[in-house]
Amino acid sequence: MTMETTELKHQVKEQIIKFLNLTTLKTEDIKDDEPLFGEGLGLDSIDSIELIVMLSREYGINIQDPKEGRKVLVDVNTMVDYIEKNRTK
Amino acid sequence: MLYVHNSNCISPQQTFPDTALDLLNESRDNQLLVKEPVYSNIPPGILRRMARAVRMCVGAALPLLKGIPEPDGIVIGTANGGIEDCIKFLNQIIEYKEGLLSPGSFVQSTSNAPAAQISLISKNKNYNNTVTHRGLAFENALMDAVMLLKEKKDGCFLIGSVDEISDYNFNIDLLAGSFRKEIVSNRQLFDHPAIGTIGGEGALMMTVSNAQEGAVARLEDLQTIHTPDETLLLETLKHFLLRNGLTQNAPDLLITGENGDIRLQKFYQAVESLFPEHISIARFKHLSGEYCTASSFGFWMATEILRKGKIPDIALKKGKQTEFRKILLYNNYRGMQHSFVLLGKPVG
Amino acid sequence: MSRIMITGMGIISAIGTSVEENRQSLINERSGISQLEYYPTAYAGRLPCGEIKISSATLNEKLFAQPGPTITRTGLLVLHAADEAVRDSGLSNAQLASTETALIGASTVGGMCLTDEIFHDAHAHSLGTPYTSSYDYASATLVAQKRYGILGEVSTINTACSSSANAISFGARLISHGFARRALVGGADSLAKFTINGFHALNILSDKRCAPFDRDRSGLNLGEGAAFLVLEKEEDAKGKRIYATLSGFGNSNDAFHPSSISPEGEGPYLSMKWALEKAGINPGDINYINAHGTGTENNDETEGRAMQRLFGSPPPFASTKSFTGHTLGASGAIEAVYSILSLMHQELYPSLQFKNPIPETKFKPVKHYRKQSVQHVMSNSFGFGGNCTTLIFSK
Repeated sequence: MTMETTELKHQVKEQIIKFLNLTTLKTEDIKDDEPLFGEGLGLDSIDSIELIVMLSREYGINIQDPKEGRKVLVDVNTMVDYIEKNRTK
Repeated sequence: MLYVHNSNCISPQQTFPDTALDLLNESRDNQLLVKEPVYSNIPPGILRRMARAVRMCVGAALPLLKGIPEPDGIVIGTANGGIEDCIKFLNQIIEYKEGLLSPGSFVQSTSNAPAAQISLISKNKNYNNTVTHRGLAFENALMDAVMLLKEKKDGCFLIGSVDEISDYNFNIDLLAGSFRKEIVSNRQLFDHPAIGTIGGEGALMMTVSNAQEGAVARLEDLQTIHTPDETLLLETLKHFLLRNGLTQNAPDLLITGENGDIRLQKFYQAVESLFPEHISIARFKHLSGEYCTASSFGFWMATEILRKGKIPDIALKKGKQTEFRKILLYNNYRGMQHSFVLLGKPVG
Repeated sequence: MSRIMITGMGIISAIGTSVEENRQSLINERSGISQLEYYPTAYAGRLPCGEIKISSATLNEKLFAQPGPTITRTGLLVLHAADEAVRDSGLSNAQLASTETALIGASTVGGMCLTDEIFHDAHAHSLGTPYTSSYDYASATLVAQKRYGILGEVSTINTACSSSANAISFGARLISHGFARRALVGGADSLAKFTINGFHALNILSDKRCAPFDRDRSGLNLGEGAAFLVLEKEEDAKGKRIYATLSGFGNSNDAFHPSSISPEGEGPYLSMKWALEKAGINPGDINYINAHGTGTENNDETEGRAMQRLFGSPPPFASTKSFTGHTLGASGAIEAVYSILSLMHQELYPSLQFKNPIPETKFKPVKHYRKQSVQHVMSNSFGFGGNCTTLIFSK
C-alpha cells in the first residue's frame, strides 16, 4: 500500500465521519474492511445517498446508477479503490 | 378533561432533569437558548442525524416511556419543527444551484420528525399526530389528547410540544417585527414595554390519562380563539369563566404570557382587569422567551405550582403565596391567537 | 353517536379548478402531469409535475380582484378550494363565522414555496420581504380563517403526506365530541424547490409520468393542489344535499424508517384495519380503494403487501396520483374528493400508465374508467416518518 493510499483512507474516514455526523467515532474506530452497511457501521439508505454526495463534492465523482453505488460503498477499501481510479479532483 | 402525570420540560432555565427556577439564566442577544442535556438514552446512531428540535423533544419524551413503555398515542405541537435543517436544505438548494444535494437535512426538517422519531425509537405503532398551528400548536395538541381520552377512556397518551430557535428563524421573526431592536435582558423584559420581545425555545413532554391517582394536575377546560379584537376576547373569557363556575370564585392564580411587547399589553391588561384585585398574577416569558409553543412552558409551570404549592418568586408579578387550587393560563401569540387553559389540583 | 356527513366539496388540482372539472378529467383519463411551465426551478423540462397551469397572480386576481394581498401560492390554493366547498355547502356567512365552526387545514410546504424569499429573510439580506409572516405551515390555514372570520377551533396538521387525511378525521372528531357543530377540513400544497429538490435528493422522482403499481415504476411525480370538505352532523345536514358519510378512519405509525415503509407494510395494514373497525365493516365490504400509490419502489410494494395481508385479494383499486402527481399534504383531501365522487356517481377511476403487475403480489389496478356499484370506498395516505392514515367514505 502506498503512502498516498494510506493518507487517502484516513481522509475518507474523516469525510465519512463529517458527512454522516458520526460524532462519537474517531477515524481509528473505522476499519478498512469493516462493512459500511448492515452489521458493522450500521449505515442505511439515506447514508448511502449522503456518501454519493460526498464523492461528488470532494472528488468530482458522479455516480448515477444506484447499483454502481452499492458496489463502491462496501467498505473503506472499496471506496478508496474507486476514488483512486475515478477522481477528477 | 384529563389528568397530567409525569412531565419533562427542557427549557432555557434549569428545568431538566432537576428544577431550580430560583437561578435565572440570562438571555444573550435577545435570545434565550436551551442548555441541552446529554441525551444518554437516544441511540447514538439516531442522535447523530437529529435536528435540535427533534433532539430536545425526543430527549424529553424517552425518560417518560420508562413508566409507560407503550402509550396509546403520541401527539406533538410544533409550529416549525426542525426549521434550522429546513433552511440548511434551502441553503444547499441555492448554493449548489439545485444540483446534487444531501437529503439528510430534508428528511429531518419535516415537522412530524419529533413525533415520528419517538414512535420509531420506541417501536410504537399507535396513533401519531403533529399539530403545526403556529401560536396554538401546543393547545391544539392538547385538544387532540382530550378527544383521544374520550375515545379510549383507559388510555394513556404522550403529548407535548417543541420549537427551536436558529439564526435563520430568529432573523425572519426579527424582520417580521417580533423581537426588540435594542438588546434587552430577560431580567428587565417587563421594565420598559416597547415594540417586540425576546426569542426562546424549548420542549415539554408529558403523559396524560383519565386516572386521577398519581396525577399532578387536572386539565379542567381549554379554549382558543383567533381575533385581533379585545372585546371579543373578553366575551370569550367571560363565557369560559361562566361555564367553569368561576364568576364568583375567581381562580387562585392567573398566569399570563405577557412578553414585554407593548403592542400586546392591551390584551393582557384587559384580561387582568376582569379579576379581583387580590388575585395573584404570574408570568413566564422572561424565563422561556417568546416562541410559538411557549405557552407549554406556562402550562408546565402551572403544574409545578400545583404540585409544590409555591410560585417561583421570579415568576410572581403581584399577589402573594397562598394555596393554589385553580390556575388560569392566558396566552396570546402576535395579538391574534389566544388561549385560555384552566388547570386544577387533581384531587377535589 | 351522530354520523358525520359531507355537505360540500371544493378542489383545485392539475386536472381541474372545480369538482366537476376534476371528475371530467378522471372519466376521460386526462392526466395533468406535464413539464413545468410556471414554477421556476432547474428541473423544469426534466422532471414532469402535476402543475396547475394558472399563475399565482391570476389566482390572486380571481380570488380578490386587483390589487390582491400578498398571499403565498399555497394560501391561494386553500382559498380557491375552500371557497368552492363553502359555496357548495350553502353555509351562510354567519354560520361560517360562528364559534361553532371549526377549520382544520394541512400542509407540508406551507409558505416554503417561496424559496428565494426565505433565503433572503433567513440571512437578513434585506429589510424583509412582505412574506416574513407567511413561511410556516399554519399561514395557509390562517388566510382562510381570516377570510371567513371563523371563531371556532382552528388548527393545522402536518404529518407529511397523510396531513390532510388527518385534518379530515380531526374535524370529524371535533364534531363527534361536541367541540364543533360543523367543520371545514382539508389541505393544500404548492410546488416548491424545497420538495422537488428534497425528493430528488432521495432518488424517488421519476423523469416520466409515474406508473403506480407497475413492475417497472420509476418513482413519483410531485403535484400541487388543494381540497376542502364541509363536514356536518347528520341532524344539521337534513334537507341538504349529502354527498357521503365519513364512516371510518385509522391512524398508525409504521415505526420503521424516517423515509420508507416496512417490508410487511405494518403501518398501512394497521391504519386500514383500524379504519374498518371504526366503520364497523369487514374487508369484503370495501368496493374500491383509492390507494396511496405514489409510484415509488417502496410504497407500491409495501402498500400491495399490506392490502394482501388484509384483503387476501383486494377489491378494485387505483392511484389517482397518476393524474394529479403527489400533492403531499393536499393528497389526502384531494383523494377524499375523488373517493366521494366515486360513491356519488357509482363509478371507478383508473390508474394510468400501468402495464405489468409487481411480481410479488400480481395485483392489477383498475386500468380504465368504469361504472360500478359502490357502497364503501377506502382512501389511503402514508407519509414520511411512518405516518399512515386511512379514511373510509360510505353512501
